[in-house]
Amino acid sequence: MSQQLADRINEVLMGMVIEIKVPAERRIFLTVSADNLLDVIRKLRDDFGFYHLSTISGVDTVKNFEILYHFANSQCCITVRVVIHRENPEIISICELIPGAILYEREIQDLLGITVKNIPDPRPLLLPDDWPAGNCPLRKDWSYQAPEEKIPGEKK
Amino acid sequence: MKRIKIPVGPQHPALKEPISLRMTIEGEVIKDADIRLGYNHRGIEKLAESKTYIQNLYLTERICGICSHSHTTCFAQGVEALLGLEVPKRGLYLRTLVAELERIHSHLLWFGIAAHEAGFDSLFMYTWRDREVVMDILEIISGNRVHYAINTIGGVRRDLDNSQKGRILEGIEFLKKRTGYYTNLGTTEPTFVARTAGIGLLPKEKAISLCAVGPTLRASGVPSDVRKDDPYAAYSELPFDVCTADTCDVLARVVVRVKELIESYKMIEFIIKNLPSGDVKVKAPRRIKEGEVVSRYEAPRGENIHYIKSNGTDKPERLKVRAPTLGNYPATIEMLKNGYVADIPLIFAAIDPCICCAERFVEITDSRGYRNIITMNEIKRRYPSRHINKDYIWPL
Repeated sequence: MSQQLADRINEVLMGMVIEIKVPAERRIFLTVSADNLLDVIRKLRDDFGFYHLSTISGVDTVKNFEILYHFANSQCCITVRVVIHRENPEIISICELIPGAILYEREIQDLLGITVKNIPDPRPLLLPDDWPAGNCPLRKDWSYQAPEEKIPGEKK
Repeated sequence: MKRIKIPVGPQHPALKEPISLRMTIEGEVIKDADIRLGYNHRGIEKLAESKTYIQNLYLTERICGICSHSHTTCFAQGVEALLGLEVPKRGLYLRTLVAELERIHSHLLWFGIAAHEAGFDSLFMYTWRDREVVMDILEIISGNRVHYAINTIGGVRRDLDNSQKGRILEGIEFLKKRTGYYTNLGTTEPTFVARTAGIGLLPKEKAISLCAVGPTLRASGVPSDVRKDDPYAAYSELPFDVCTADTCDVLARVVVRVKELIESYKMIEFIIKNLPSGDVKVKAPRRIKEGEVVSRYEAPRGENIHYIKSNGTDKPERLKVRAPTLGNYPATIEMLKNGYVADIPLIFAAIDPCICCAERFVEITDSRGYRNIITMNEIKRRYPSRHINKDYIWPL
């Protein structure tokens, strides 16, 4: 059944699909380019009823960044994958189509350092206000070094 | 009228996580609300990348102290899908049994808090006393009251014998009777209905567009439940209905959860009476070849989703967790808008993370810089009875 749905999605999205996979029943993985993201999501929402965005996952693959939009309806859970460059990590906001995406977009901005264009509310979500710029905890090349603990007045 | 900003939070003894709510109010009406997170960010996703799959099972269990089983199940079934493992049926049934018992304990806990926030403290004490019954059952099964640690990759860690089955059925019989009493009390008690009806409205379209999940979404009339839509564990074989209500207010959220309690009792009785025989687990290899999986689970608060990417070693490349409460925050802001300051605790409690109970102060600064400090108890004392709607139809 999911295979049929995947075939129909492939047909409707005509040429915008880079790759479509059905690894299991009720799971579809779809890869599209960043330029087509809004069109793809609009089509998925209006033609296939994928209104519910479960979450957005950002993955650092060392070479690139992958952003995965997990949508669900009552039949299937579809993951839309977008690959973006590591040098200039930018993605367009989908809040105009899915208003519920705002917290997830703020989260990937914080933790992966990806700029989300047109985001209605660009404030940090999880990191503190005085967090040093350029520190993106979920990037693979970031590691945490706990500062040496010093107790004032202790023996040398 | 001049708009004033008041902070609620971030530190609050009764919250499951510290959270800061900033309300913009005009008189007593909330015009805008803002939520700030991050006070309890523990970096679990980063930590998970340096732990093995088995260690991560115990790590994910500690994401939540109430629905701990939901995260381990979600993680374990994702890893099992990556490995292509077939979990024995008895294992899946036992996993589902603990999941439903957890839902009962979570909903009873929530019901007590909602009753307390509505000013009905005897109901709070009743539900929390009865919750001890289900906590005892969980302890009989797993040895633990909170972090059950019953899941393992490939099945469950403990089996069930006949004397345990008897104890579970006895407990469920008692809880069924009590829940019947609560349904009656909640639906006929005029003060409780008056306090919850018409408060925290979340229209159906808003609930869908803001991607709300779980009982919050179902209380706005959307029959969406991962257990039905995307059956995992043993849910494809269990008899149950998706519970909804269509009044979109706090009362509807109470109704949905009470109905879900009754469905859970039904499922547990079915599981105990039709428990398949055989093993409870299979052995799982430690290394996992490259792959990725999306695992979904209906936690007591709504859809829980894990994305796991493996890289051929015994540690995951990436683990992304989205717990249901985060999905409900945008909807909470919508519920708070145009509500009253006095309703903040009730509305916030209704999605299940709760601002409640203890002393908390609200600082109001007016245009002349005059400061006035009001305690939470004072706010509660001023609960107005202006929400009584005579045309209200009870949704049951």
